[in-house]
Amino acid sequence: MSEKRLLDASSGAPVKRHMGLKASRTAANTGIYCLLIIISVVWLIPFVCIVLQSFRVESTWQEGYVIPKQWGLDNYRNLFQTDFPRWYVNTFISALFTAVFQTIIVLCMSYTLSRFRFKMRKGLMRFMLILSMFPGMLSMIILYRVLSDLGLTQANSVPGLILVYVASSGMGYYVSKGFFDTIPKSLDEAARVDGATRFQVLKKIILPLSKPIVIYTVLTAFMGPWGDFVFARYISFGTSSGMNVAVGLYNWLNKDQIAKSYTMFCAGGVLVAIPVTVLFMCLQKYYVEGVTGGAVKG
Amino acid sequence: MSTNSDLEYLKLNHWQKIGYRIARFFVGIPKALGRFFVGIWRAVSTFFQLLGRELADIVGTFVHGDWKTRLSFVVMGFGNIARGQVLRGILFFIFEVVFIGYMVLTGGYWLSMLPSLGKVGPTEVYDEILDTYTTTYNDNSFKILLYGVLTIFFIIAFIYTWRQNVKQNKLAEKILASGKPLRSGKEDLRSLVDDQFHKTLLALPMTGILLFTVLPIVFMILVAFTNYDGTHNGYSNNLFTWVGLDNFNTMLNWSVSKGSGSQSYAATFGEVLTWTLIWAFFATFTNYFLGMFVAMAINKKGIKFKKVWRTVLVLTIAIPQFISLLYVSKMFAKNGILNGFLMSMGWIQQALPFWEDPTWARITVIIINIWIGIPYLMLITTGILMNIPADLYESARIDGANAWQQYSKITLPYMLFVTGPYLLTSFTGNMNNFNVIYLLTGGAPTNPAASGAAGTVGYTDLLITWLFKITTGPDSQYYLASVVGILVFVVVALISLIVYNVLPSIKNEEDFQ
Amino acid sequence: MASVKLTDVKKVYDNHVTSVHDFNLEIKDKEFVVFVGPSGCGKSTTLRMIAGLEDITEGTIEIDGVVVNDLQPKDRDIAMVFQNYALYPHMTVYDNIAFSLRLQKMPEDTIYEKVTNAAEILGITEYLTRKPRALSGGQRQRVAIGRAMVRNSKVFLMDEPLSNLDAKLRNQMRAEIILLRQKLDTTFIYVTHDQTEAMTLGDRIVIMRDGIIEQVGTPMEVFEKPHNTFVAEFIGAPKMNMIKTELHLIDGHYYVSPFGAKIEVDGEKGQELKQARVKPGDVTLGVRPEHMLLCDQPSEATIPCKLEVNEMMGSELHLHLVTADETRLIVRVPTIELSETRRAQLTYGSELYITFTGKVMHFFNPETGKNLIYHP
Repeated sequence: MSEKRLLDASSGAPVKRHMGLKASRTAANTGIYCLLIIISVVWLIPFVCIVLQSFRVESTWQEGYVIPKQWGLDNYRNLFQTDFPRWYVNTFISALFTAVFQTIIVLCMSYTLSRFRFKMRKGLMRFMLILSMFPGMLSMIILYRVLSDLGLTQANSVPGLILVYVASSGMGYYVSKGFFDTIPKSLDEAARVDGATRFQVLKKIILPLSKPIVIYTVLTAFMGPWGDFVFARYISFGTSSGMNVAVGLYNWLNKDQIAKSYTMFCAGGVLVAIPVTVLFMCLQKYYVEGVTGGAVKG
Repeated sequence: MSTNSDLEYLKLNHWQKIGYRIARFFVGIPKALGRFFVGIWRAVSTFFQLLGRELADIVGTFVHGDWKTRLSFVVMGFGNIARGQVLRGILFFIFEVVFIGYMVLTGGYWLSMLPSLGKVGPTEVYDEILDTYTTTYNDNSFKILLYGVLTIFFIIAFIYTWRQNVKQNKLAEKILASGKPLRSGKEDLRSLVDDQFHKTLLALPMTGILLFTVLPIVFMILVAFTNYDGTHNGYSNNLFTWVGLDNFNTMLNWSVSKGSGSQSYAATFGEVLTWTLIWAFFATFTNYFLGMFVAMAINKKGIKFKKVWRTVLVLTIAIPQFISLLYVSKMFAKNGILNGFLMSMGWIQQALPFWEDPTWARITVIIINIWIGIPYLMLITTGILMNIPADLYESARIDGANAWQQYSKITLPYMLFVTGPYLLTSFTGNMNNFNVIYLLTGGAPTNPAASGAAGTVGYTDLLITWLFKITTGPDSQYYLASVVGILVFVVVALISLIVYNVLPSIKNEEDFQ
Repeated sequence: MASVKLTDVKKVYDNHVTSVHDFNLEIKDKEFVVFVGPSGCGKSTTLRMIAGLEDITEGTIEIDGVVVNDLQPKDRDIAMVFQNYALYPHMTVYDNIAFSLRLQKMPEDTIYEKVTNAAEILGITEYLTRKPRALSGGQRQRVAIGRAMVRNSKVFLMDEPLSNLDAKLRNQMRAEIILLRQKLDTTFIYVTHDQTEAMTLGDRIVIMRDGIIEQVGTPMEVFEKPHNTFVAEFIGAPKMNMIKTELHLIDGHYYVSPFGAKIEVDGEKGQELKQARVKPGDVTLGVRPEHMLLCDQPSEATIPCKLEVNEMMGSELHLHLVTADETRLIVRVPTIELSETRRAQLTYGSELYITFTGKVMHFFNPETGKNLIYHP
């Protein structure tokens, strides 16, 4: 009798507790699902709104509602009556060149700092750390005047902008140096003992192993110019044909412009976002790797 | 600390421990500062020792060297050529010729004008033939300052090269004396892709940094000691000149007023700095903890569609910030979608003053920044969370830790440890987060008391947006912008220095490895 | 196929830590030399200086009479096997082995011949098209050796090549390295922290500590005539027992008195002490665990001990003993020498008596640790 009760107790209680555990986990998971759905909605709303408003025909003003009363492609058509295509091309060209040259420079810098132990190495890194504490914007004043002396501002701002983006990009070596640091040094050493020069080590051993970081660097370098506002505004200096998309579209939201160009801004925004977003989403994996590694390495 | 006091520490209760640590933090500050100054002192003294040794070596080389070496003191590269290293010698010689040519032709002029930054401004001359006044531009303060600095760079480079020239002569003599051959030009070139490959790799990036970062920074630091602004642009209206510490006095002295009715620059600076620090603190830590929370929610066992949730968030990173920020800024406007929605639902009668009221604006900015920042932090923390060894949690669970204890005793310390340096850079990055503030509010709402001759200042303005506004403001007071820039540097450097020296987590790198 | 000569080689790192002090050594052609010592003793640094992977702060290194201080690794004609193998992950096994030959611009058919030949010797032919990722530790090790083999270089350097393998595989590879050495017939320099590897592989062993050479000699020399207590304890496992005691000279005979016992230093050892004119007094007496004898009965020449731990190793027993004054000793007894009943008695706390003969004694200066006979 007592033995049977004992058995019951020992078989019953765990089952009950097990169910409790499961139930509480389900409850927690339901909570998390709700939260994630709310988050997703909040994060997506602006993008949904901007797309919807870009198709609105009846009014070019902001308005307090989202869903257009009259749908149409008018805003997109109107974009081509403005300087928008020019801005688009400007941005695209500077993004392309920046991606190429910045990648080369960043890789040179980070590979050197990761692999060579020369006398000034520590000092150089400290020096660049200190330099990065100065607000970069200050440099714009002088760079603007130097570039304008060279004729690389206003209408000719694209080469000037590329120069500005690329020239100092060596300072952003942290992430890719962190990556190179994870490639064992003994690979370099083995190759050197095998008869390779330092250049051959880079070409034949390191670069083939660095695909993720090369893609990451190209991607971030390519995306930079699409979002740059300060330098582009300074260097184009009010000349419409020298602006990039950020500066051009920003001006459409001025107090005196917004009434007639708000929906056009939305349409322009959509056109800018599509290629960049598609590219980013395709290469997302590499971006995530780079960002994570960079943060851990500091 | 001795083992004994370590054991004493273990006996303290929780609050005493916290108190002890805080006390140690503050006790640590003067020590860290002390170390810093001792470090500077040591650096200075080693510099002079080094200088002395270099000078002694130069004299020694001259006294003990042969005639080729001695001639090289004047004709750079002569020794190299005479000893068969033609390539090196020619490069040395060309450098010397270029340097002397430059100094004679223009460098001397820039250098001589540097102390005054130009003597004769633009003059109007009556032209009899044309019967009109024509303007002649004379000295150009901007160019004098710029090329003056460049000339000084060039002189330093020349001294360094000259020193190398002397050193190589000494070395060549020594190598030849030991009976070995010198490196040929061909070997020199080959070494540039081998043992000297780092020089080849660094040449391009370092030139870029030197010309486009170092030079502008040196120039702008110097501008802070001049009166360079829109009305003294250095060539077409007035020359500018050195004013000593006047600008720092203007910016930092409470009793110097900006003009009638408005407060001093010092007061404005204090207000903007305070808001900048508050902003940086909240922007960094709200993102950090909420991002970590979201990452943990997505990564929790049993949650499905992990990839979908992540992709939705990552979309914010993919879309260029200026689009999302400008658009969101308009969503929150008085006549924007949000207010429109709330009013149409009848929940509010009047539009909420998201951008009109100082406190509302500040809070809104921080909240929108969470929207911008969480995806990054989610990505970063996801990677690190996955790296926490699972057996830490297993052993904690066996020891009887609940979910909160697991988080606070394992996850959080691990995260803080690993991301410590990232938090610091993120904090200083937020202090200089131009895009978010400028594109969202442009600094608005305006702070009437703080606005003055140098343009408007708003309640959400950071030091960096204020700096931008000064340069684009009515008089383009570049000298004030430079002062603000230097002060931003000082603040950032101080914070970094204190954090690096006092925070143990950054120093004890191996704790968690 | 070359000699290597190191003269006053010194390595000082940037942080002013001296890793190697005045290293002098001449390695003969076709000799197999092993650098051995605890971690941080500078053995790897020395090897890497020979390879050209570290700068030499002072001194010279010659390979075949040519000073190589300023030569890049690629110009030194050396081959090296790394501790973590350092296989190029993006290349197949074949390409890994062929890498150095391709850099020499050798024709592809010669390369094919050499690579397949090396693969044959090492038994990795079937893996030639695989990437290193798909190989086991032992196979990777073979590829690394193959890569070094095909180069036919003057000197063959190996930096702890077996330390990433498990114990069984390590024994197997050790035997293979001995075979390989006979086939290659070139100069080997081998770095390890494992004294067994050093003893089994080396023609000569260089024992290092804190950047200093403690002793250079054949395996037999360092085992039988250790220059100091460090070498004595480092070579042999379990390590040599060190007993603080006194040396007495009575009637022309030397005696030691460990823990109150009185043991004569008889035979050759006594003669050697006399020849070295060792004075009586305090000494550190070293006796290897395998040279300690268990006695059934106490006598004047036995040391009474208590058994603390009895480790059954299969073919032998390791007995951890403690004497009356808390000194710990280890005795190694072949299992076969003890009857089953005797073994059953060896439990915690049981009383034992041990002794040893004069022949197995080592005498060290208690202050300097130097061997009183061989290295005063």
